[in-house]
Amino acid sequence: MASKQSSTTVLLWRVAILLLLLAVWQWGYDLRAFAALKPYVPSFLDPYFVSKPSEIWKSFLRLGCLTDRGGTLHGWSGMTACLAEDANNIWMATAVTLKNTFWGFLGGTLSGIAVGLILGRSDFLSRVFEPYIVAFNSIPRIALVPLIILMFGLGDISKIVTAWIVVFFVVFFNTFEGTRAVDRDQIAASRLLGANSWTVTRTVVIPSTLAWVFASLTPAVSFALIGVIVGEFIGAERGIGKLIVEAEARANASEMMVAIFVLMVVGILLAIGVRRIQAYLLRWQPQFDQASA
Amino acid sequence: MGARPYTTAEPTPKAVTARKDVRVSVLSLDKAFGRGDAKVTAVDKVSFDIGRGEFVALLGPSGCGKSTILNMVAGLIPRTGGDILIDGKPMEQGQVRREIGYVFQRDTVFPWRSVEANVGYGLEIAGVPAGERRARVAEALDQVGLTAFAKAFPRTLSGGMRQRVALMRTLITQPEILLMDEPFGALDTHTKLEMHRILLQLWERERQTVLFVTHDLGEALTLADRIILLSARPGRLKEDFEVPLERPRDAVALRESPEFARLFSHIWHSLGEEFRKTKAE
Ligand SMILES: Nc1ncnc2c1ncn2[C@@H]1O[C@H](COP(=O)(O)OP(=O)(O)O)[C@@H](O)[C@H]1O
Ligand SMILES: [Mg+2]
Repeated sequence: MASKQSSTTVLLWRVAILLLLLAVWQWGYDLRAFAALKPYVPSFLDPYFVSKPSEIWKSFLRLGCLTDRGGTLHGWSGMTACLAEDANNIWMATAVTLKNTFWGFLGGTLSGIAVGLILGRSDFLSRVFEPYIVAFNSIPRIALVPLIILMFGLGDISKIVTAWIVVFFVVFFNTFEGTRAVDRDQIAASRLLGANSWTVTRTVVIPSTLAWVFASLTPAVSFALIGVIVGEFIGAERGIGKLIVEAEARANASEMMVAIFVLMVVGILLAIGVRRIQAYLLRWQPQFDQASA
Repeated sequence: MGARPYTTAEPTPKAVTARKDVRVSVLSLDKAFGRGDAKVTAVDKVSFDIGRGEFVALLGPSGCGKSTILNMVAGLIPRTGGDILIDGKPMEQGQVRREIGYVFQRDTVFPWRSVEANVGYGLEIAGVPAGERRARVAEALDQVGLTAFAKAFPRTLSGGMRQRVALMRTLITQPEILLMDEPFGALDTHTKLEMHRILLQLWERERQTVLFVTHDLGEALTLADRIILLSARPGRLKEDFEVPLERPRDAVALRESPEFARLFSHIWHSLGEEFRKTKAE
């Protein structure tokens, strides 16, 4: 087990590396001013492509309506006026992307579990549908996005549907596998204690399958976010993906970086959220000892 | 698929006529797995019966078909031939019956349920109100010394404790017929003796009809009124005899008695032969 000393050391190293990266990002390209160093400074450090931390911070404050273009802090009324002016301001964009991710994730998860359980519990149905599932599953999901936008329009629905489909397959396959892995003796024990078929499903198959389902939810939530963002790239009115595409059109690297950082934070928060729920629902499993304590 | 009509043309075991109050009759039971070249005869024309409130041990070497017989009596797997009668009525194929309780060889405690939720499982699905359920679960846990672990999840328990949970999960539904498949097979000697003591205590109160599968002669002698000895595969009935030990029994003291030692060594010769046969295969 890690001692207290070594975890402090790890933390120090992490902070040191972060500071180094930020420093290289901020001032690295300026080193080209010294003729001797110029050949050693890679061109991708050019702020035209990657911006720099100070610029990104300024862009964030401005996009978030916290400061005006000059960099002075907005008052309350200034801020509300600024937010009202831009329907796709960073807060709104984040909220829209999150909302679509959430509904796509929820819909995909629930339908994936339901279909996985139904096919997993019925040999007949799983054999009938197997070729269709294999065929549909071999289509790269992203290739469907333009079609989905054509069908459901530029609004939020097309993004939700994209995330839904992506999540559905991940959760479906895991649920299906999970139903196959249920302990037969546990099912027999349940039947002998008086359970009918539905009670067996509810009290044995579903709980023991949940371990498999939850294993898929952490990747599934990232996939949902990817689905929504790609949808927003291809055609959207709002959202963080839309913000990135617009910034790209204006060759504004710092605004793109702001959007990417926001996505990073959103991704981390979603993963933490899913893991929390997972740790609670699977608290009976040994590997979640720490998390539930 | 209708139930096969029961014919008296099969050889009727004499015990059926000798004993009046027969609870379970196993008549010329057969079981084969697979077909053609891959066919394995696991159970071959096994007949015996169990009286009401009788504790019968089904003893035989590993792989002789004990679990297979038990699973057919439980209605978990279809039989190839023969009949099973409960209270004189033939059992339909693959039918699970309310009055039968089953304790598995493998750990089948539900890991996602706490100890009390495991024990209360049968009552819960039978729709017993929460208040009554809590009281009965508390009593059951108290009987096997698990009160302090009511809220714990099974993964935190030892093998012996988990098997006590499995036992009470079955007993709380008050089955009249109890089938047990080497329930203490995976436990160390000390824990096993402790479980024998607990099981005998519980059984003295309710006097269920028990069919207890084991390959451990000492265990069979400690617990049972009668021992049915099976031959090595394919399982055939080899001997069927009473255990002349008085009740109530003390699982630990019994093991030290000269009577026990005498019985053990006497039966051991018969059983030893069967064990040598399995090893030679
Ligand atoms: N599902 C099955 N398919 C094929 N053979 C089986 C199956 N179940 C048991 N057998 C065989 O039947 C024989 C008896 O098994 P079992 O009843 O489990 O023995 P025991 O419980 O006495 O150790 C063994 O040889 C085993 O290999
Ligand atoms: Mg067995």
